[in-house]
Amino acid sequence: MSITAECVVCAEPIAVGADVEKAEIVPCDACGQEHEVAEVGPGSVVLAAAPEVEEDWGE
Amino acid sequence: MKASHWPHVLLTVTVVRQEEKQLIAALRERGCTVTVAKLADLAGVLNGSAPVPDLALVRNLAHHEAVEVTRRLATFGVPTVNSAEAVELCGDKGQQALLFGRLGIPHPTSYLAYDLDQVAERVAELGSAVIKPVSSSWGRGLARVTDAATMECWAAGRESVDAAGRHFPVLVQAYVAKPGYDLRVVVVGGEPVVAIERASADWRTNTHLGATVRRTDLSVPVRRLVASVLDQLGPGFYGVDVLIEAGTGRHYVLEVNANPEFARSAPVHGVDIAGLLADHVVARCSPATYRLPAAA
Repeated sequence: MSITAECVVCAEPIAVGADVEKAEIVPCDACGQEHEVAEVGPGSVVLAAAPEVEEDWGE
Repeated sequence: MKASHWPHVLLTVTVVRQEEKQLIAALRERGCTVTVAKLADLAGVLNGSAPVPDLALVRNLAHHEAVEVTRRLATFGVPTVNSAEAVELCGDKGQQALLFGRLGIPHPTSYLAYDLDQVAERVAELGSAVIKPVSSSWGRGLARVTDAATMECWAAGRESVDAAGRHFPVLVQAYVAKPGYDLRVVVVGGEPVVAIERASADWRTNTHLGATVRRTDLSVPVRRLVASVLDQLGPGFYGVDVLIEAGTGRHYVLEVNANPEFARSAPVHGVDIAGLLADHVVARCSPATYRLPAAA
């Protein structure tokens, strides 16, 4: 089972797995935009544009 | 951990990647309740409006977030898999160089430099050197300099983006010729669980830059080096990078990472890193089976 959300750039539908987690990165297959899962509700998710890589990101 | 109490684990993140998805699944398979928290969600725990976890696994990609989370939780009274001191140390190559130097842990000759003149002086002394930001990862910002001309190129680029010198100090480190690879040793708890060779035609062997990996043995010299590092950092989850010098075979600890990636390498080496880390987390939540080593 999956949840359908919408790309924040091109508005194409994005299928998100039911086991999706908050803060998970979800790409749009249509335009390549990466999203971050901002909220997970029962049967719904809110997507936001994923954060850009920052200088101090790493291992 | 009481018999009726399954561990509640706080997984703090900047974003959730494959690594964190695997960890969440492995922890839940072991009966843990997992709460995923971005930095802002920490307020609920610290201010009493969210349940207090038994343990936190800090997987923040942003180093400043990892330091913030571990420091606050330590003072609040929630243990973290890697201590706040270890996280802070692992995020600063300059601090690591100083510590390894003081303790006699083999490490390439390294100097902290606070301005361009000091960098040039140390590069001239070392002959072939690598200039590194003290806090960087994935091979970002590293430059190999071999003479006055390459030093001038580095200095010119640096001046053009940092005329005021706000991004000093940097680490000036002797270049160690490798046999085409270095080693990454993954540590879970107090034990190295796997070693991989990271091979690349480039002098940098970060997998982020395309290095290929293959499993290798955990040799006695490598185990000794890792043990000497763990004596200082305490148990946790680390990626220890080891250099073996071409020609001499001399071993050096290059650096220790407190937030190692494993999703891409685990299918190659075959060790279930997420499962081992989840086992360690569960054990840490159970005082009956886990005891922190006595302070040195």
